[in-house]
Amino acid sequence: MVFKHEQLLGKSRFRSSYDAVIIGGGLHGLATAYYLAKDHGINNVAVIEKRYIGFGGAGRNTAIVRANQRTQENLPLYQEALKLWPLLTRELDFNLMFYNCGNLNLAHSDAAIKSLRLNVSSAQFHGIDSRLLDAKECKTLVPALDISDRPRYPIFGGMYHPPGGIVRHDAVVWGLARGCIKHGVHIHQNTEVTDIGVKNGKVEFIETTRGKIKTEKVLNAAGAYSAALAYQMLDIRMPISVLTIQAMVTQPLKPLMDHVVSSGAYHVYANQTLKGEIATGSHMDPWPNYTTQNTAYYIKHQAEALTELFPCLKGAKFMRIWGGLADMTPDMAPIIDGNDPVEGYFVDCGWGYFGFKSSAVTGKYMARFMATGQCPAILKPFTRQRFEKHRLMGETAALVEFSPNN
Amino acid sequence: MSLTITCPICGKRSGYEFRYGGEDKGPRPDEDELTPEKWFDYTHLNTCIAGMQKEWWCHRDGCGTWFKIYRDTRTIGEVPLPVEDKIKDA
Amino acid sequence: MKRLSQLPTCRIDPEKKVFITYRGKSYQGYEGDTVASLLYANGIRIFSRSLKYHRPRGLYSLDGECSNTTMAIDGIPNLRTETTPARHGMTVKAQNVVGSPEFDLLGIMDRFSRAMPAGFFYHMFHKPPSLWPLALKRIRKIAGLGTLRHDFVMQVRFDEIYPHTDLCVIGGGPAGMSTALAAADQGLQVILIEARPWLGGIFDYRPAKYLDGFSLHERAGVLSQRVTENKNIRVFLQTAVVGIYPDNQITAFQVGGRPDAYKERYVEIRAKSLVVATGCLERPLLFENNERPGVMQVGCAHRLARTWGILPGKNAVFCTGHDLGLEAAIDLFDLGMEVLCVADNREDGQDAELVAELKKRNIPFYRGWVAAKVKGKKAVKAVTISTVSGTRRRDIPCEVLVASAGLTPATGLLSIAQCKLSYDNHTGFFLPVNLPERVYASGRMLGFHHPLSIEISGRLAGLNAAAGCKETTNGLRKEVEEQLATLPGPPLGSKWVSPPGKGKKVFICFDEDATLQNIDQAFSVGFEMPELIKRFTAAGTGPGQGGIPGHNLPLYVGQSRLPADDPPSPTTVRPPMVPVLLATYAGKNLDMSKRTPVHDLQISSGGKMERVGGWRRARYFSPDKSIREEIEAVRTSVAILDASTLGKFRLHGPDALKALQRVYVGDMTNIAEGKVKYSAMCNDDGCLIDDGVVVQRGKNDYFFTTSTARAGGTIEWIRFHTRYDGWDFHLVNLTDAFGVINLAGPKAREVLERATDSDVSPEAFPYAGYRELLILNTIPVRVMRLGFVGELSFELHVPASYMITVWKILEETGKPWGIRNFGLEAQNILRMEKGHVIIGSESEQRTTLHDLGLGFLWHRNKPEAKTVGAAALKHTENQKGRLKLVGFEMEDSASAPPRDGSIIVDEKIRGYVCTARYSHTLNASVGMALVEDRLSSISERLAIFEDDCNGKLTYARVARMPFYDPEGARLKI
Ligand SMILES: Cc1cc2nc3c(=O)[nH]c(=O)nc-3n(C[C@H](O)[C@H](O)[C@H](O)COP(=O)(O)OP(=O)(O)OC[C@H]3O[C@@H](n4cnc5c(N)ncnc54)[C@H](O)[C@@H]3O)c2cc1C
Ligand SMILES: [Zn+2]
Repeated sequence: MVFKHEQLLGKSRFRSSYDAVIIGGGLHGLATAYYLAKDHGINNVAVIEKRYIGFGGAGRNTAIVRANQRTQENLPLYQEALKLWPLLTRELDFNLMFYNCGNLNLAHSDAAIKSLRLNVSSAQFHGIDSRLLDAKECKTLVPALDISDRPRYPIFGGMYHPPGGIVRHDAVVWGLARGCIKHGVHIHQNTEVTDIGVKNGKVEFIETTRGKIKTEKVLNAAGAYSAALAYQMLDIRMPISVLTIQAMVTQPLKPLMDHVVSSGAYHVYANQTLKGEIATGSHMDPWPNYTTQNTAYYIKHQAEALTELFPCLKGAKFMRIWGGLADMTPDMAPIIDGNDPVEGYFVDCGWGYFGFKSSAVTGKYMARFMATGQCPAILKPFTRQRFEKHRLMGETAALVEFSPNN
Repeated sequence: MSLTITCPICGKRSGYEFRYGGEDKGPRPDEDELTPEKWFDYTHLNTCIAGMQKEWWCHRDGCGTWFKIYRDTRTIGEVPLPVEDKIKDA
Repeated sequence: MKRLSQLPTCRIDPEKKVFITYRGKSYQGYEGDTVASLLYANGIRIFSRSLKYHRPRGLYSLDGECSNTTMAIDGIPNLRTETTPARHGMTVKAQNVVGSPEFDLLGIMDRFSRAMPAGFFYHMFHKPPSLWPLALKRIRKIAGLGTLRHDFVMQVRFDEIYPHTDLCVIGGGPAGMSTALAAADQGLQVILIEARPWLGGIFDYRPAKYLDGFSLHERAGVLSQRVTENKNIRVFLQTAVVGIYPDNQITAFQVGGRPDAYKERYVEIRAKSLVVATGCLERPLLFENNERPGVMQVGCAHRLARTWGILPGKNAVFCTGHDLGLEAAIDLFDLGMEVLCVADNREDGQDAELVAELKKRNIPFYRGWVAAKVKGKKAVKAVTISTVSGTRRRDIPCEVLVASAGLTPATGLLSIAQCKLSYDNHTGFFLPVNLPERVYASGRMLGFHHPLSIEISGRLAGLNAAAGCKETTNGLRKEVEEQLATLPGPPLGSKWVSPPGKGKKVFICFDEDATLQNIDQAFSVGFEMPELIKRFTAAGTGPGQGGIPGHNLPLYVGQSRLPADDPPSPTTVRPPMVPVLLATYAGKNLDMSKRTPVHDLQISSGGKMERVGGWRRARYFSPDKSIREEIEAVRTSVAILDASTLGKFRLHGPDALKALQRVYVGDMTNIAEGKVKYSAMCNDDGCLIDDGVVVQRGKNDYFFTTSTARAGGTIEWIRFHTRYDGWDFHLVNLTDAFGVINLAGPKAREVLERATDSDVSPEAFPYAGYRELLILNTIPVRVMRLGFVGELSFELHVPASYMITVWKILEETGKPWGIRNFGLEAQNILRMEKGHVIIGSESEQRTTLHDLGLGFLWHRNKPEAKTVGAAALKHTENQKGRLKLVGFEMEDSASAPPRDGSIIVDEKIRGYVCTARYSHTLNASVGMALVEDRLSSISERLAIFEDDCNGKLTYARVARMPFYDPEGARLKI
């Protein structure tokens, strides 16, 4: 049973030139680097991370995975993403701890049922398991729910999505990093990219705190910092707002909740981690900023909402709250582009609070994009141009609150 | 309620009483000038600056005023208006 | 056990017995006991089993830094019995054991610890893949601490308050009290917060001498009396601060005292200045089996005796690194405990007087010695002490090992307050170097040890805080600063001591069962930064968070990994400082919804109320949810709807028209007198966000309505879009000032006629007209002739205070026609039959005015207005491939309507059903859908895919809207 401790993170020599450089040792960056090396034989690749791998959203998210999105542009990507966890576990020989507990989204009005029905029908049309439950069935699934008339937003029903669940976020970061190293990719932590050098419309080099690197291909996968980076280094502005999003956990409890449960009306989701903590989050502070400070308002709100849905949780105790950043686009879908407007410059950002579940699969296609120069069909809908062309994706039906435009 | 904001009318209040109104992008452009590109620029594009930002806020749960402040997006905190700006805005 | 209740420091009341039930047996203690002290006095030594290895755990810090003493009390799991006051009748249960804490079947887990190194799970159970789901089930069962039942009902109440103050002082010890007194003397309003049920802190339980023959305990009494009597100081006892946020926003929770009706109270304070005076904790001493029941910190042993009158055991070995350890050894000896020896990891620097006192009592004293190992499975049987270098060792049989490596400042709250801490070589403390504005620290946490230094440092902080609030105190501050300089400064602190020998069970974090060896394993896989090591080993991520490992981990990482002269850096501390019940955070959790003026009338008429935004509104008026009668009344006779939630605004002033032109897509220049103008507002994307009517009541004076949802945001919206223009106009939100009654149906006029003397004939008051009338010659109402539901209807805007009266008048005058209520669902069908959209129902974020077929509302010839949305309306006017709103009718007239949200498909998804209902009026299933434009022409066949249809599609045809009364004749009667 005893295993040898092998290095997860080797120390690599800092080269002055790479075939491709990935900015950001987050999920998307590591996944892209891994697939560049593994699928395309491009292993002269560096991942440049300003702090440590998983410092950004990768290490702060609540690790929920699901494929019950609203639009057919998004569904296939997330559907493939879900199927990838077991495959990756085997491939990386690293237990990513996919806990396939299923997700339940609650509806608190007929209007909400209608919008869930749209998601459910779309999922079923794509062969994805998702179904509508009435309030009683919700209660059978999650006995801790209060389905009486007492809560301010009584439960009308819910969308049950069995294939979803949670994955251990650290495991994905470390597993991918180990996979990268095994394939010869260099990971440079404590190194910040400070500039991207462009000549004649083409990427030529990047500047880092440890020196210049010559490269013709750069991926901006700096998570929440991507938009600032694009503006600062390339003068490209993005339709993005960077907001703080917080999450928290209770003290560990014996099994109480067997699913991920979420509620739009209450702005809350919760699930029980393998350790037994109830992990919960959802709201964002509605103003842009780059701090990961948490707020008194938020933890109180979360307690109010949770105890409405699950009265028994009054007897649980919060033990830790933390904050991360979410880079939000107006239609709650990411922005993926390459060779536009600068040749050799690729970007994969705008993942807000939903970019964990899609990280591996996006990395896989992003790597193909970077290797071949051709944008794979599955990523095509996500171009930044869609906004200019008045073709919002429709991943959210409601007007977003963080934009002054609504 | 980490953030506090100083409303020109009500004074310093909790940030949650306010609504963020975007980066200060200057007056509304003429309608005829708004090609799709310029329209996109004015309505949706942000600099997302990590640093000092001039921006609009509305005291929504208070007096309802719209006003501009400077805020450091790295610390969340409001910072005093630079002098030259005071003169320009006056 | 006989309790030493006669001690002056003792906090139990021997006259008041308290009984609690533990594991089915009744145990007796006294008022003033905590659950833990009560149980300890009754011989309980093992309080819990650890998370992973199920190792027995007992009292350790007594201040709740770890979860050693957590149990379930009255159904609430994971409560720290060491900080929970014992109350008569409590039922206490052990948790996370199979059996009892003494005999736990899962205790064998401890033997497998070697097979479970750090990061173990990442390498296990995934091969073959089918193993994982099974393993997962087991892991879940074994993980977790206490059990919370899904049907647990919290029987007690919770409170919340939001005080504001000049100064908030955290910590009611000598420093905090001195701070509070100094500031209060300067006229500041002070809130003083103390976690324990009494003031006094480090002075409280100690009989050691203060000055002039007083003991520290007596001094604590004096200070505490002064504080309590001071009118400027408000004291919160049993209150734990859990969060500090910018601008001195402080959150805490207070445990309810005896006469209180609440269990706990959420306290959120805004203070101009903040002083943190939380003193010190003890740095855990690391050695093999350093968490065996019977191993406890100095403060724990000392306070057990002095505060609760319990000798920790018959005999004890002391292994300590600070003078408080020596003092406690002497005092406990004097109270009757056999002290076998005192080992001090410091070579020198001890208080000579204390050393002399030890000698006087013939207690062996070893300098430069530490504990290396504890023997005994469930309790301490013996301890091996050794020199720091491990060269010499001795075994000493004993019952209790009092162990403490040194002191460490309780800077958790400062860290939470975003204060930077930096390692200080002299004290061995992480000291604050960069305090946020108007945040100060005082007392022992700055390294002070001498009683006077502690107090004076507190005073100085109080004066500084006063200066932070207002100008004064300069002279005085200087004086006190000078005084402090003459007093003894911080003594030399004890340094990191590596445990002698190669222990495998040296626990750096109790709650996660993380050992020093686990930390080494993290190093060996390549993690060097404390944050990553925490994640990999889980050290510091349990209920006690950084409480136990927070002090040793950075030092260990520092000395193992950092270059010799790099200072170690502290780990992050996050709120809440101690775990807090969700019930406490939720507080009162009041539900604040709005009611219309006729709310009660709606209910008494059988209205089934639902929450709509911030309001409560009637959805149905039929017990069986059938709304047929409601609809028939509107279509054939007359009915009334409470529409008070509509937004209502007055806009007036010289530039009022300009503002209207900016936000409405229509042209507002010529609204005829006595007429309403229907129009829409778009956002800059050209998407519909609101619709309503505008009336001009006078020169530059308008009255307009918005949808319910937009009522709250309209003023903000108009002001936002005119923010650069400096226009002169005023907006008044009249939403709550007026109620609205929609009187609808072919007989509506007859009803209104009887209620007013005004002429409401079709000629005098035509469709789209606006009139101001008097009801019964007294009540002024504003009336609009509209037709949202497709019948003759009057929308009466009634001063809110007259709503009930007018409502009753209409019900009375409408009797001959059987007037009745109708609700939102009836309205929903009525308007659908009419092809009228509801925003959010027939539109979504990306739906433009054109997409809804409402492009005609846009007046394109007013570019000077810079109308919001106009540019996007121009760009998208002829855009292909958009989702368009269409009406449809089911092909098979007998088939039920598809449920809302069903999708429209061919080989791809082409749209979805917005609203579809069976229409009694039309005797058909009809609906509205958003579909791709190429499917939007009349008679186009739509294939509808409903959830759970198993691939069986239903079909509809695009139909012309409105379905009902296409000519609009019924509006105009
Ligand atoms: C609280 C919270 C909860 C969430 N919950 C979920 C969830 O349940 N499910 C889900 O799917 N998603 C969730 N997310 C979202 C998810 O975490 C992110 O979308 C995801 O991490 C994005 O991955 P990334 O690789 O693009 O960015 P990140 O993981 O943020 O990585 C970006 C990296 O770039 C580095 N970097 C930045 N600038 C530079 C520079 N100049 N040079 C070098 N390196 C740089 C950063 O240090 C960082 O490590 C959540 C996010 C948060 C904050
Ligand atoms: Zn104001």
